[in-house]
Amino acid sequence: MAEEIERRTHYVERSRQQAAPTLRAAWAVFRKDVRSELRTRYALNALAMFALSVVLVVSFYLGPRLAPRDVLTPPIQAALLWIALFFAALSGLGRAFVHEEEVQTATLLRLNTPPLAVFVGKWLLNVLLLALLSVVVTVLLGLFLNMRSANPVMLMAVLLLGGLGLAATVTLLAAVIAKASARSALFAALAFPVIFPQLVIAMLATEQALTGATWRMALPQLQGLGAYAVAMTTAALLLFPYVWEA
Amino acid sequence: MIWARSQPIATVAKWAVTLWMLAVVAAMFLWVPPYEGLGNTGRIVMMHVPTAWLSTFAFAIAAWYSIVYLRRRRAQDDDRALAATELGFLFSILATVTGSMFAKVVWGSWWNWEPRETSILILLLIYGAYFALRSAIDDVDRRRQLAAVYALFAFATAPLLTYVVPRMYENSLHPNCAFLPGSQCEGISLGKSGVGQLGDQRVQVLDIVRDGDVVTAVVDVSGVGFSNRTTLRPTYNLAAGRQQETPEFPGSRFMLALQSVDETGVRLNIQAPGNSSQRGNVATRTTLLASLAGFTGLFFWVYNLRTTLLQLRRRVEAQGLS
Repeated sequence: MAEEIERRTHYVERSRQQAAPTLRAAWAVFRKDVRSELRTRYALNALAMFALSVVLVVSFYLGPRLAPRDVLTPPIQAALLWIALFFAALSGLGRAFVHEEEVQTATLLRLNTPPLAVFVGKWLLNVLLLALLSVVVTVLLGLFLNMRSANPVMLMAVLLLGGLGLAATVTLLAAVIAKASARSALFAALAFPVIFPQLVIAMLATEQALTGATWRMALPQLQGLGAYAVAMTTAALLLFPYVWEA
Repeated sequence: MIWARSQPIATVAKWAVTLWMLAVVAAMFLWVPPYEGLGNTGRIVMMHVPTAWLSTFAFAIAAWYSIVYLRRRRAQDDDRALAATELGFLFSILATVTGSMFAKVVWGSWWNWEPRETSILILLLIYGAYFALRSAIDDVDRRRQLAAVYALFAFATAPLLTYVVPRMYENSLHPNCAFLPGSQCEGISLGKSGVGQLGDQRVQVLDIVRDGDVVTAVVDVSGVGFSNRTTLRPTYNLAAGRQQETPEFPGSRFMLALQSVDETGVRLNIQAPGNSSQRGNVATRTTLLASLAGFTGLFFWVYNLRTTLLQLRRRVEAQGLS
């Protein structure tokens, strides 16, 4: 009994001491990934090119036809915004863990970094990349499809909350597919059903931000996005250690 | 030998389930009264609701055994999760097909992008992705572990899919409360010129006219995007204290009922076409519950069978290797 108590207090003490190092390690992983990303610019290029081509392809066809005051214009723009974000994220952010496995640095990372720190570090990088991507896609849609927001602050809130949920999902699933074959096809197949509820809510909220709905009207959607981000981040944090050790 | 254990009980149970399901099918066609307006089409509900329910139930079982697997790392827990997923996939296909057939007859198209149709489609995709993931990983332990993680991760979206997304839409064609003949939704109270939503129908009270004991509500109704817009006149008899005429919404077989009248306005409700007689109600309800019980029994029978088979295959493979 006394041993048990001692063991438990030891654990509590150790986890208390570990909280700060974990965050520090997460920051280190983040900085390492930012540096390696800046060297190769793999994700940045993939994201930018994907976003640009999606927006351009659609704009060629729809741009001249979408009348600014048409009731269908905001829903189409909202759908496009999230289609571009979702598929760009799938094409660019899947590499976070695949790269570690390919150049065989995953084992080293597994040995000297707690799993939680690895996840948080990679997640931070994905949040950063998604934030950049959101800005790029929004500007491109504004340029080519004449997308205008009646409530830009709400649009930013939607992009932020949606991006947080997307980042958590994409980070966990990227870790899963890094251990499988046929990675890119599998990534989309795994991510779509999980991300679907969020995409629907995000498109709806984006449409509201474009048409200038009041905060009161958009509140359920924003709450839904927040709930989704919290749920998926929590689930990903709990499940990541199992993926990492698999 | 695991598969030979408790053989007599299993035989009895198998026969019981078989006879039970036969009785359910017989009752479905012979005892349950045809739905007014829907005719024999309504009978498919007896198959649709239990399969839809079990497809979600299987998802929960798979999630549960995925947790157990991640905790204990026993191969048989993974077998159970896999068996549940396979059955869930089968049952969600059955639910989608039966629901789609019903939708074609009642709502006019095979697919309506209605929230529950959408969520069962997502469930199908989740099951599909689960199998795709399993087939993409060669290492057995890794496959089990990652499949368990994915099942749980997908399960985390279930509450959002069930409770949040359907509420984002304003309309649902599923007559949750109006499905059983004679049962009713809560309805809405509206004053004169009040606007509200009943199912997928937008309703606006244009006028309330009293003629003797009969009160008539003049109601402007329209479907999604003001489609099928028309004016309906449900009536209420004050002397009898009950609804009188319940006109049908255009393009559907659901009816608009005027359920009560007071100083502030009227209470309108959507009602399923159906027999309001008590007998019809009891027959429908009993058969539905019996069908649910039968399908659940069937589910566990096949589930156990599949789990045993998976365990057997694992043993054979292990022996073949040694």
